[in-house]
Amino acid sequence: MKKILAITLTLALAVSAFAGCGAASSSAAVSTTTQSASTASAAGSTELNLYTWEGMFPQEVLDGFTAETGIKVNYSSFDTDETMLAKLETSKGGDYDLVIADDYIIETAIAEGLVTELDKSLISNIGNINPVYQGQFFDPEDAYTVPYGAGVQTIVYNPTVITKEINGYADLWDASLADSIGIIGNYRVIDGMALKVLGESYNTTDTATIEKAGAKLLELAPNIRLIKDDNLQDDLISGEINAAVMYTSQVTAACLANPDLKVVYPSEGIGFGVMAQFIPSNAPHSDAAYAFIDYILKPEVSKTCFEALGYYCTNKAADELIDDAYKSFLTLPSDFSGETEMIQNIAAEADEAHVKVWTEFKSACGQ
Amino acid sequence: MKKKSLRKNGSSWLMLLPLYIFTLLFVLGPLVYMVVLSFKMRADVWGVLDIFTLSNYKNIFEPVYLNTFLQSFKLAFTSTVLIALIGYPFGYFMAKLSAAWKKRMMIVLMIPFWTNSLIRLYGWIIIFRANGSLDKILMGTGITSAPLKLLYTYPAVVVGMVYALLQFMILAVYSSAEKMDWSLVEAARDLGATSWKAFTSVTLKMTLPGLMSGIILTFIPSMGLFFIADILGGNKVVLVGSLIQDQLMKAHNWPFAAALSVVLMIMTTLMISLYKKLTNTTELEGLL
Repeated sequence: MKKILAITLTLALAVSAFAGCGAASSSAAVSTTTQSASTASAAGSTELNLYTWEGMFPQEVLDGFTAETGIKVNYSSFDTDETMLAKLETSKGGDYDLVIADDYIIETAIAEGLVTELDKSLISNIGNINPVYQGQFFDPEDAYTVPYGAGVQTIVYNPTVITKEINGYADLWDASLADSIGIIGNYRVIDGMALKVLGESYNTTDTATIEKAGAKLLELAPNIRLIKDDNLQDDLISGEINAAVMYTSQVTAACLANPDLKVVYPSEGIGFGVMAQFIPSNAPHSDAAYAFIDYILKPEVSKTCFEALGYYCTNKAADELIDDAYKSFLTLPSDFSGETEMIQNIAAEADEAHVKVWTEFKSACGQ
Repeated sequence: MKKKSLRKNGSSWLMLLPLYIFTLLFVLGPLVYMVVLSFKMRADVWGVLDIFTLSNYKNIFEPVYLNTFLQSFKLAFTSTVLIALIGYPFGYFMAKLSAAWKKRMMIVLMIPFWTNSLIRLYGWIIIFRANGSLDKILMGTGITSAPLKLLYTYPAVVVGMVYALLQFMILAVYSSAEKMDWSLVEAARDLGATSWKAFTSVTLKMTLPGLMSGIILTFIPSMGLFFIADILGGNKVVLVGSLIQDQLMKAHNWPFAAALSVVLMIMTTLMISLYKKLTNTTELEGLL
């Protein structure tokens, strides 16, 4: 009996221990689209090894690409940018033909020599890219990357519950918003709100400034009801929170579920992140990668992609095609001239100051 | 004769080999890696540098990080006390049931384990959320008039912890109460002890190993079950576990995460040895 009990308990313990990891499983699952190519391309590759997060392209777009070029897409996915970089390091820039990842990790990948410089003559639609998202820190000369979707830091709130008009981050500190705001658990974004309110840069490396922002952030704690990375939009839709700072795809999901929600471009200036495509330095089928980049840059293809993806459209030519239901949260206002700044990698010392400030803030939220 | 015993020794050694290899590879290996990592220095952006440093351990003594240990301890303590108060009587009375009912109760206790604990926690969200089941009952019976903010609070976290770990206490107490010789209680009663006196002097003492292993089985996991605080507490209770996760997944400061893990493991080991010393037992019911 005792033995059975011991085994049962051990099993139970093991099960509950694994449960914690449940949310972050299924990395690097390889799914292969196996539709037969209708026309094999005359010269060059017949397959493309695409490596990015899961669900970055609607199936119809991948099928359309195969139908047009005869190139089969082998879609592999990763969970985090770091996994991708580690894999790319192991394969020395080989194995994959096209990678889509976040800006900051691309900066590292370029510095490590894992990225091919693009031959732009092979990309006929390159002029379609929205210049707002070009020339950024990770690729100042646009020599290595083509953006595919951007996350723009906005504030979303429910004006039927929150009577105060919100125009910028500073308004979130208002006492009337007590215990009603939900935020994502991204310390650079949230610490960055306080930095912006103080008129500082996201990327300041001055620890005293970061600590000052931390003190400011502590005053926000009573208004925070929830810190959550996954599906924060559900809490906004259900009314558990009435204002939120969240990821762009979540904003899109929330606005589609509740059209009353208001999206605000913070008056302090907006921060954004770019996802971009690049060809690894030893890509086995780089010609197929060029064909894919070019195909995705077609306005009508981009439109389909971004409406499904829920991130800001980085294809200027596709902006006008985007359905009106999505327009307000997938495209920047045409008169957009606000200040923009991207969050970049910073020195370890400054980063640690951020983490410390963030941990203090989180604890304060629970008090 | 000699030959035979030699062969016997040889084959048992071979039988144990997979176990040794497994232990070395999957238990000792990662542990050593973690300890080594905790003395290294993080690189500015990506990876770790092979430079020896104690700064990761020094960093733990920052008040903000010490506070997370305190918070974890507080939550683990609160949960364990509540679990003991509920779980002990449960296990005790379960041991007194008829054999058929014992079996049924055991199945009832085990069935929830078939479901992923994350999913079971989401059940609590449905109960606690604004206009959720609990709110509807409270408002329907006129106890409250408006939806309460129950979700993302400290009590919600404690309920989640108790729910997730209660079974361990019940089963540990049950297994020692079941083995107990009830005639000892009868003897105590025959000798004039009140039922309370008989309980405290006989039953409690006899089931103490079960209670204690129940406490160990709940206290130690509750130091690390940060995802309950994340899901039901809205991430606002910072436990050592969530701090380690933040350092690994977000700050990419693996050496600091390793140092935190090492300290957490040392604390856990100390607690188990302290328990052994206090209770003077070498045997933990259903545990060691």
